[in-house]
Amino acid sequence: MFREDRYFLMISVFIGIFSGLAVVCFRYAIDWCRIYLLGTGATPSHTRLLLAPSLTGLAIAALVIHFFPRARGSGVNQTKAALYIFNGYIPLRTALGKFIISALAIGSGQSLGPEDPSLQIGASLASAIGRRLGLSRDRMRLIAPVGAAAGLAAAFNAPISAVLFVIEEVIGRWTAGILGSVVLSAVSSVVVMRWFLGSQPLFRIPAVELLRPSELIAYSVLGIVGGLASVAFASGIELLRPRCARMHPWTHYLQPAIAGLLIGVIGALGAPQVMGAGYGYMDEAMHGRFTWQFLAILALLKIVATLLSFVSGTPGGMFAPTLFIGAMLGGAVGGAEHALLPYLSWSPGTYALVGMGVLFAGFLRAPMTSVFMVLEVSGNYSIIVPVIVANTIAYLISRTLMPVPIFDVLSRQDGMDLPSMEEQREENILRVEDAMQPPPEIVLEAGDTIEKAQRAANRSRAEVLIVRLRHSGWNSIAISALQSLIQEGKGDRILESVLVSESIPVLHPDQPLDVALRYVDRWPLVPVVNRANLRELDGVISERDVLERYRDFGGE
Amino acid sequence: MATGPFELNSYVGRKPVVLTLLMALTVLLFMTVTGISHIFNSQQQSLAQRWSQRGAVDLKAQHYPEAVADFRTALLYDRDDYSFQLSLAQALLGLHRTDEAYTYLINLWDRQPENGLVNLELARIAAGKGDTWQAIRFYHNAIYATWSGDQDAESRNARFELIHYLLGIRATTQAQAELIAIDANLDADSPLQEQLGELFLKAKDNQHALSAFRRALRQNRRNQAALAGAGVAAYGLARYPIAQRYLEEALAISPNDQISAQRLHKTTSVLMLDPYRPQVSAIDHDRMAIHAFTVAGARLKSCTPSWGPAATAMQNLTKNWNSLKPHVNLSGLRRDPDLVNQAMDLAFSIERQASPVCGVGNDDDQALRLIANLHEEN
Repeated sequence: MFREDRYFLMISVFIGIFSGLAVVCFRYAIDWCRIYLLGTGATPSHTRLLLAPSLTGLAIAALVIHFFPRARGSGVNQTKAALYIFNGYIPLRTALGKFIISALAIGSGQSLGPEDPSLQIGASLASAIGRRLGLSRDRMRLIAPVGAAAGLAAAFNAPISAVLFVIEEVIGRWTAGILGSVVLSAVSSVVVMRWFLGSQPLFRIPAVELLRPSELIAYSVLGIVGGLASVAFASGIELLRPRCARMHPWTHYLQPAIAGLLIGVIGALGAPQVMGAGYGYMDEAMHGRFTWQFLAILALLKIVATLLSFVSGTPGGMFAPTLFIGAMLGGAVGGAEHALLPYLSWSPGTYALVGMGVLFAGFLRAPMTSVFMVLEVSGNYSIIVPVIVANTIAYLISRTLMPVPIFDVLSRQDGMDLPSMEEQREENILRVEDAMQPPPEIVLEAGDTIEKAQRAANRSRAEVLIVRLRHSGWNSIAISALQSLIQEGKGDRILESVLVSESIPVLHPDQPLDVALRYVDRWPLVPVVNRANLRELDGVISERDVLERYRDFGGE
Repeated sequence: MATGPFELNSYVGRKPVVLTLLMALTVLLFMTVTGISHIFNSQQQSLAQRWSQRGAVDLKAQHYPEAVADFRTALLYDRDDYSFQLSLAQALLGLHRTDEAYTYLINLWDRQPENGLVNLELARIAAGKGDTWQAIRFYHNAIYATWSGDQDAESRNARFELIHYLLGIRATTQAQAELIAIDANLDADSPLQEQLGELFLKAKDNQHALSAFRRALRQNRRNQAALAGAGVAAYGLARYPIAQRYLEEALAISPNDQISAQRLHKTTSVLMLDPYRPQVSAIDHDRMAIHAFTVAGARLKSCTPSWGPAATAMQNLTKNWNSLKPHVNLSGLRRDPDLVNQAMDLAFSIERQASPVCGVGNDDDQALRLIANLHEEN
């Protein structure tokens, strides 16, 4: 009744529902923490600004060190580790730790976001469910990303982005089986989230109309600035995180508190906007609340605040801060451009949204996700062209200036060598055309007699000849076999009657060389034929050709 | 192998049972989260209401910075609330942060394009920015939009505001059209008839203005503003006897009304100088003509350009006036009634020639020009 794959799909739906429920509770917990720690007003008092994040920081450090050590670190990398190292295992305790500590951290004003913890909570729940159900090892490996997609989708209210992100950054490959489960879990978690929290997009901006195509240049400038800011942000983490981790162990009790205090000072000095996830302020920036100069200051301060929070080991995610920095930077660049060139059509919301995508592409290095994320969180498809242009530029700049993506930097700092999805995407793969030999001068026809084939073979130095079959397909025959047949007195028989099989597999020049490996050990010479004309021989390939090409490639 | 209460391994062979258990767990968790959600939402609603009420008080008291902060906080707890966003936009407008307010309003407009207040605020912003096309578009939206209170009154107020805006940008014809639209829908006994009359006057539609003021006077015969307005409208229509009557009544109620007094003086001058008006006795007819001729003579004496075509023209007129002067008296006019026309034509010519060279002149000179215009029209 229930085939394994269908059963897994059904389990994915339950994973999505449970993750959605968990994320809803997580959101409530963050809000409650904020209300009780920072007060109900939009701008907390100075006392609260200074005391809440620092005192909560002490509690966070104690909880992380003594109770939930695995709650520290990137949820994305922990999900990847579960997939590639731990056979899908993520302790449920990690989810509990992430839930409690991240809610306290974000609610107290640490500059972190709820998305990465949500992702990890989803992954952890999925892993726990998979273990309880005793799923096979293959399924267990995949179950954590399925939960991760559900958690992220609920956190962002963006199922497409979550699916893309998990495929792009965690799993790294598309197959129908994985995609089905990931999509189902993401969609079901979003349905649950919308049931409780409403279906409105995260941000709402008016439709955008580019007055003239040249305005894309203005967005390109945003792409350049965003790319550089991404590199600065990521470099800061790369530089400071290991230094903080290497400090004496007793300092780890104080690091979140000191980070919280410094962030509180930033807030008390006039920029409380940098505290917490900051979605409300992003919305206000999109509504033109701040001048472009202040937006630039906020972007800079948010980078500082997030660096402080993250390198101090406080659990929490970097998605929301990345979006915040992008939104502020976008608004600032747009405002500055408009001040210089007043004829540009100017909407702070548009630039802020594009800025979000730019930082997402440049810092998190998920170019596809960055485009869809912007569209989904705004529900506004009119900005797709500026988003694509700016994101691509930021991504290219970031990749050029900082070859190792931030998630890989973090995993290497944590002593793990997880597969880099970006490197996998960029990897040059060998194809059949890289190893094949040109078509042989002599190609036998299936209707030829063996004597005729032997005469032709005498003119060739090859050991095996390719035979074109009458109607379709190819075959091969060894010269030694031809000689044996002549000696047996079968020279007047046609080739077709003596070939051992009707046809042999063929390859195409664009196929990965790995595919050739499946055939070359069974057939000494495999024809490589044209996709447009299967009777046309583009070349031939043998086991030796494949191995030599791999050997050469290793040397390159 | 022993299994705990939550170990489902033992059921793995029976997948339907596992799925049923998961379904039951889902229901249980859903109910739990629904309970938590209810508590959370109640608290959020309560906080949102508390802050929005503070905001409303501050907005009413025109404490805009406080109102902005209050509504922003309210939106933290209910970020999609339409009225909070609208109030925030109004508070921002109070602080003249129009760009910020505009972004909120245009989003609200996206959600409810038929909302009258949103359209009206957007119209005001567009008007402030000098974007006439958008302003008129949003004003019209507001006029035909949905209003929460008295639909007709709000719609009419929006139209009045549009009319003020159109008059401000000197789009008189469009203003007249809007006024006629209001006029058609306004009850005759509406207290707004006086305001309507004033606006018709500003839009230079004296006929409709006079009608509106008359309707206002039917409600209150001693409405000084309506009497003065009716006097001005009648004066503009060259119905000087009516104008005189209204202006005299207005001045009787409010003797310090300088504008009405001035207008009455001009009206009286016209009536004193116009021999063509009906129901004038023959002797008065001649006296008026003599008076007008004398006024024109005084004008000639006071206006003597020294050179150019104007000087030549004035010299010719002086010559003509001097040649006609001995005949323009009561006996002369009685002998030759055509002299009245000659004397008046010359007086009109003198005023017309003198006006561009020597200015508008005194009230009598202006009255003569008005009579000339009226005479030509007839």
